[in-house]
Amino acid sequence: MKFSDIDVAVIGSGPAGMAAAIKAKEEGAEHVLILERQEQLGGLLHQCVHNGFGLFYFGQDLTGPEYAHRFVEKVRDLGIETLLETMVTKVSGDRKITAVNSHEGTIHLQPKSIVLAMGCRERSRGQLSIPGTRPAGIFTAGTAQRLVNVEGFIPGEKVVILGSGDIGMIMARRLSLEGVEVKAVIEILPYVGGLIRNEVQCLHDFDIPLLLEHTVTQIHGEQRVDAVTIAKVDKDKRPVDGTEQNIECDTLLLSVGLIPENELSRMAGVALDPLVGGPVVDERRETNIPGIFAGGNVVHVHDLVDDVSWEAEIAGAWAARLAQKGDHEKKGKIALRAGRNIRSIVPQTISGQNDVTFYIRVKEMEEKVQLRVGDIYHRAFRVVKPSEMIKVNLLQKDLKKLKEKITELNVECERGE
Amino acid sequence: MAQIETEVLIIGGGVLGAVVARELSRYKVDVILAEKEADFGWGSTKTNMCIVCQGADTLEFRPEYHRSKLIWDSMPLMEPLCQELDVPFKRVGELALIRNNEELGKFRKMKSKAEKLGINSHQFIDQDSLRQMEPNITREAIAALYDPNIAIVDPVRLTIALIENAGQNGVKVMRETEVVDISRKLNQFEVETNRGSIQCRFIVNAAGTSVEKIAQLVNSNDFVLYPIRGYVGILDKNLGDLIKHEIHMRPDAPGQMNILTPSVHGNLFFGTTMQPSQRGDYSTTRRIAEIGLQNVRKIIPDLSEKEIIHSFAGFLMFRNWEVGWHESVVQASRRIPGFISICIGYPGVSAAPATGREVSELLRREGLRLEANPGFSPSRKAPPVFNQLSDEQQKELIAQDSRYGHVVCRCETVTEGEIVEAVRRGATTLDGVKFRTRAGMGRCQGGFCTPRVTKILGRELGLPEEKVTKKGRKSRVLLYKTKELLGGK
Repeated sequence: MKFSDIDVAVIGSGPAGMAAAIKAKEEGAEHVLILERQEQLGGLLHQCVHNGFGLFYFGQDLTGPEYAHRFVEKVRDLGIETLLETMVTKVSGDRKITAVNSHEGTIHLQPKSIVLAMGCRERSRGQLSIPGTRPAGIFTAGTAQRLVNVEGFIPGEKVVILGSGDIGMIMARRLSLEGVEVKAVIEILPYVGGLIRNEVQCLHDFDIPLLLEHTVTQIHGEQRVDAVTIAKVDKDKRPVDGTEQNIECDTLLLSVGLIPENELSRMAGVALDPLVGGPVVDERRETNIPGIFAGGNVVHVHDLVDDVSWEAEIAGAWAARLAQKGDHEKKGKIALRAGRNIRSIVPQTISGQNDVTFYIRVKEMEEKVQLRVGDIYHRAFRVVKPSEMIKVNLLQKDLKKLKEKITELNVECERGE
Repeated sequence: MAQIETEVLIIGGGVLGAVVARELSRYKVDVILAEKEADFGWGSTKTNMCIVCQGADTLEFRPEYHRSKLIWDSMPLMEPLCQELDVPFKRVGELALIRNNEELGKFRKMKSKAEKLGINSHQFIDQDSLRQMEPNITREAIAALYDPNIAIVDPVRLTIALIENAGQNGVKVMRETEVVDISRKLNQFEVETNRGSIQCRFIVNAAGTSVEKIAQLVNSNDFVLYPIRGYVGILDKNLGDLIKHEIHMRPDAPGQMNILTPSVHGNLFFGTTMQPSQRGDYSTTRRIAEIGLQNVRKIIPDLSEKEIIHSFAGFLMFRNWEVGWHESVVQASRRIPGFISICIGYPGVSAAPATGREVSELLRREGLRLEANPGFSPSRKAPPVFNQLSDEQQKELIAQDSRYGHVVCRCETVTEGEIVEAVRRGATTLDGVKFRTRAGMGRCQGGFCTPRVTKILGRELGLPEEKVTKKGRKSRVLLYKTKELLGGK
């Protein structure tokens, strides 16, 4: 394979990477290359054997592998180049990529533009500092998902799941179907962390107890987990003395949040937004480093795979345009400001010259609010929740209403209908 | 298992047992080292803070204690030892932060006490120089006592290297071998283990937290030890440049400590509590974790708890804990000839090289003949560490063995080749692979590589994957195959 003359290199081939590569190719980039560390394209989609993928993107209810397959076929049909079982070890600020695999050894690339599509990883026990012993039998939900669905192993027969993220709830159902006793799903917040449809279809339908406003306060067991202690928490999320109870189990799964995976971005000097954990981007999903774009869960963790692909397409399209024309658009000059009850906004800056897709998360659950973007957009919500990302599309013509020389645009939730 | 005979049995494969094994391998002596865990250095050694100190670095130090002498006698030996064994050693220097004049006065006294012993490396650093050396630390420090000699090592890698080198020179090692009883017949010990009995003339009891238990098996009760539990946290590598030196500060409350130090692999470690505790209880508690965070924030005020990737508890066995400073145990039993116990407490790693020499001298005095082993080679070669090689070296290695091109641990860039080599050298468990290669030690804590390493271990050991353990015994990682719980096949 020839590694010179790469127009767009995409790091990662999950729902973001493949969508970005396809879009880049469709926008006219000649040499598009995907770098994937696993044996096949698709990233984590292969272990997501449940349905719920593509309801919006394809208008069909697909499983993860089916969703991946549609993109894989397109990648092949379009003649997009791929390097599998290839780990990118370095990305530099001047867009040099170093990667390694068993066939070529160490590979150096200098693409005209790069799309970061590394996705996200799960928070671990260490990051939560869950007290207790250190036995075998503690897994993140995604690791357990791979073990069950890809490797063909069941981690244990009595399982407690901490956190009600989507993967945790899906694994509760998956393990129940395998004959595992899922003793409880424990959530520290007063509401589930994942989608309502997963709460209903994965927990309620399988009679799996959901304990809200609880947490695991201690892990027991020397060799293998033999129990966990759980307790109620107060409104500051601190365990309440006297509410502890022991649950006998051999396995603890953690579904306590996802973190955009940005080790490579950091190496390249890409500025990160501490609130979302991913690169600061403009509406074209370009980072502060010219020619380095990012899309999907590497930027911020989405609720739906459909949005992961859509957002990555924005990055892919602009990466292709830059690779062809070589001209760098003027950087976004308008900074988005998180106002009342807004936790995060992506993109963090816009130029005002192009259409924009905003993804917004609120801080707290609130009923009857108006979401406002400056004075150019507003929409009424019956309820807003941190676990449900809000998507706002603004067209260039809407942005024309912005006052000239504006440098900040406020996004806020206003009380009232 | 048939009965085995040997001259010397070393009980315990921590850093002290390992250093004694390697020291004795210089001589024509039959030595067996028995370790109860599945791999070496899993007791107090792995929970060590990785610092090689000089002994004279806290206000409480007692020059008259034997432990102090072992530590400073070891200092000049450690770097050459690490070079011989091809393990990392980095002289980072130490800063003892000083917050007020009272502390300054105390550190002045300590410095002159150290100088009387010939330790002249300490120097006072004023606030401006301290800022330049460590711009990210607390503004409360008005000065610091600087000791450029202080270094860091990887205690488990050092232990494994010592054992590998001892093995090359003829020492036999047995793992998952736990001593359950010892009887004395004529001039011999008969040592019962879970894997049969071992007959020997000399015993070196380096059993770490079990050192008293082993001594009691021969009714040798010459010392009392206090189990002290410490809490250690590890910070994400992204913060690796936050500090350059090992830094400590006087604790504000008894039973606590404030240490933050770089490690040879790029993470920062912090150690924060030292409290008497029930032996063998390695669990952490919420309270200790909170104190830990508070304490490390005294050094780095705005440190986010999100940067902690792992934390754990470890044990130190302190003699004379009640007097505020502790003494080591390196002695032959008063009653039982040929029975030597060793336990440094803290810092076992720093005191190890001199302890090894002293134990061989004690054995000689007890009647062991020490005749030079003509085949002794002091050098041991470390396995390749892929992410520390140049591009050219990486290419070459992959050309020789393509498994070095397959990255298995994404966070630490550990390749399949390294894991296979670790298994070849003796890793049999996930933790064994972790401590030998760092696979699973990064920020995702094994989330990505656990299924992959389990698979490689099963394949290399010729075991079904469900039999692979985290750390030996009953710590199996995967309990069933899919459909097995449904009664299917």
